[in-house]
Amino acid sequence: MEALQGLSWGIIAPIFIIQLILVIVALIDLTKIHQTNGPKWVWALVIIFINIVGPIAYFIAGRKQA
Amino acid sequence: MRELVVLFQKEWRENTRNFKILWVPLVFIFFGLSEPLTSYYLPQILDAVGNMPEGTTFPMPEFTPAQVIMATMGQYQFIGMLVLVLAFMGTISRERKNGTGTLIYVRPISYLNYFLSKWKVVGMIALMSVWLGLLTSWYYTGLLFGKVEASDFFAFAGTYSVWILFVVTIVLAMSAWLPTGGAAGLSLLLILIVQIVDSLLGTYWTISPWKISTYATQWLTGSPDSGDFWWSIAITILAIIALMIFGVWMSKRNASKTKV
Repeated sequence: MEALQGLSWGIIAPIFIIQLILVIVALIDLTKIHQTNGPKWVWALVIIFINIVGPIAYFIAGRKQA
Repeated sequence: MRELVVLFQKEWRENTRNFKILWVPLVFIFFGLSEPLTSYYLPQILDAVGNMPEGTTFPMPEFTPAQVIMATMGQYQFIGMLVLVLAFMGTISRERKNGTGTLIYVRPISYLNYFLSKWKVVGMIALMSVWLGLLTSWYYTGLLFGKVEASDFFAFAGTYSVWILFVVTIVLAMSAWLPTGGAAGLSLLLILIVQIVDSLLGTYWTISPWKISTYATQWLTGSPDSGDFWWSIAITILAIIALMIFGVWMSKRNASKTKV
């Protein structure tokens, strides 16, 4: 982990902020939406545990557009 | 004109409510950020995860600022296009399927306005995403690698915008013609596969919409051959207009396929 000491977190922080916004928005939408393709709790796990791709996958495939 | 405004507002509201207006730009900004950062921290990343034997030295490639922005565009050319196609593949076809179409088609609307309202909203979201992403990438490249001239950058981003509009028009026209799955498949074929073919066999011709992104990158290091460049732009704009006419015609013809 010593190699990670040299990073300046101020520069990298925006990446984590974007990921966080995506996760939060996806979760808020998940709680509000009536029905998803597949069980909701699976989507919750996907959104939380899969980096960046999880929320995108939810927005593309998970929402039932009715 | 009023009709176009109303349809535009409807489309805008829909894209706000399904969060496309938020997540599509965020994805592009994410790649605009991560590309310069990973290039910059490549030695540290290799150190941390690489499991190299002691004393291994790598001749690290020195990235020029222009190369980093090109790499960002390379990400957009694959992942970005995938996101655009998947996000907007159902713009028209899904309305036919879920019945929203029925509510619209029973009114005496002009299909030109119908198609245009969608094209404008999707085009705005796509362009906004790409510009925000490229500006982020430009800023970070300036911070970590060095300066790229503003005039070069804007020539690059402006040229690339034409390609983005071409992509958006393909997706919408296919969505007007085919069901959602088919629209996605054919759009991906037209955007990604043709691009690979064009780059493999494309030495035989110099004018094609799929060469626009290559010409865009040439603005960063110099300038593209102006004859080839302007002809490609002209052909692309003609293709966009032709695809729009096709899309309007197809949304009219397929209107009867809507589910009640």
